[in-house]
Amino acid sequence: MIRLLKLNVAVGLLLLSAGASLAQDRPRIVTVNYALQYFAERLVGEAAEVEFPVPQGVDPSFWRPSIADISEIQSADLILLNGAGFATWVDRVTLPRSKTVNTSAAIEDQFIVTESITHSHGDGGEHSHEGLATYTWLDPTLAMAQADAIASALTSRQIAPVEDIETQLEALRADLTVLDTEAKAALATLQGVAIIATHPRYQYYARRYDLTVSSLEWEAGAIPTEAQLANLEVLVRDTEAQIIVWEAEPPIEAFEATAALGLRNVVFPPFANAVGDKNPLQTFSDAVSALSNAMAN
Amino acid sequence: MIRAAALACVLAAVPLWAAAHQMIVFASVDCEAVTVEAKFSNGNAVQQADVRVLDGANVLLTTVPIEQDGTATVQLDSVDHSTGLVIEVDTGSHDNYWIVTPEDIAKNCQS
Repeated sequence: MIRLLKLNVAVGLLLLSAGASLAQDRPRIVTVNYALQYFAERLVGEAAEVEFPVPQGVDPSFWRPSIADISEIQSADLILLNGAGFATWVDRVTLPRSKTVNTSAAIEDQFIVTESITHSHGDGGEHSHEGLATYTWLDPTLAMAQADAIASALTSRQIAPVEDIETQLEALRADLTVLDTEAKAALATLQGVAIIATHPRYQYYARRYDLTVSSLEWEAGAIPTEAQLANLEVLVRDTEAQIIVWEAEPPIEAFEATAALGLRNVVFPPFANAVGDKNPLQTFSDAVSALSNAMAN
Repeated sequence: MIRAAALACVLAAVPLWAAAHQMIVFASVDCEAVTVEAKFSNGNAVQQADVRVLDGANVLLTTVPIEQDGTATVQLDSVDHSTGLVIEVDTGSHDNYWIVTPEDIAKNCQS
């Protein structure tokens, strides 16, 4: 009995050590948002470790990494950037060029330029800046292009067998196509319905599905201030908006305040970071249903 | 409708500017020093700013002024750079940073 126990322990230790060794030996891929992490995981399977280093609850667009975070990222085998100006930290560090891939490089001609902002610096006189809308993956056709770029990077670096990557890419593209088709059909009922978003996240989504979305700059998941509600009231009056989209669920008081202005509340997490157990495709699908149902109720 | 669109633009644009901080900071390192460059996005050099140097635990190591050409130099032997360095440039109205890892220093020292 004791011999059997010892044998079991030995086998267990062996398996544990093999597992740890496998984890250590696998290539490391770092992504700048959850959407890219999900795409990379789908494509690479168990052949690599895919990491998204931004802590839960932190906006990955404006995450400020520590030196240790950057050391970890620099030592990865592949670094997947979103491009379109997403994740400000990537322009504040040195990233190894040979390991870094901009997943939206092939779709730059489809970027949405945001409003010019006029101001001045000291003696520099007044001038303007233009920005880019950054949440490219909310248009499934652009997400597919980003998945293509990831697949290409994985293939050229031989991180997983080519046949496996191709099979997984085909499956992912099929899922995104279904999602896109369903969204087109469901959101057709929202043509001409003015929508307000609590954050400027949905530009590519709005363009893809021909939605009219005005954006605020409210803190995600927080109760709006009286001044913000007053501004919202003016905007509702001017746009005749009927729906407000939240990127994170706020306290019930916030829902009540916007409902009092005649708005129907919809929560649509743009999955720049993980929310609960749902993967991005489920989150997207749920949001499409919530939006189309908002006008049906 | 035009009024509404304009209002929406204003609501969206103002915080974007606040968050964007259109000042660019770059730092390069060799065996002896970190050279910091700061300029505005229109190309003008930053002429008045504090350059703060912090370590890996975010402890302030030193503060140096920026030169008229928008550069500052931090001698490596004047700071403990073993955990890397964070270079923060702050004009009072704009701020930005650059992260130098221990690996950046080691790599550039070898080359």
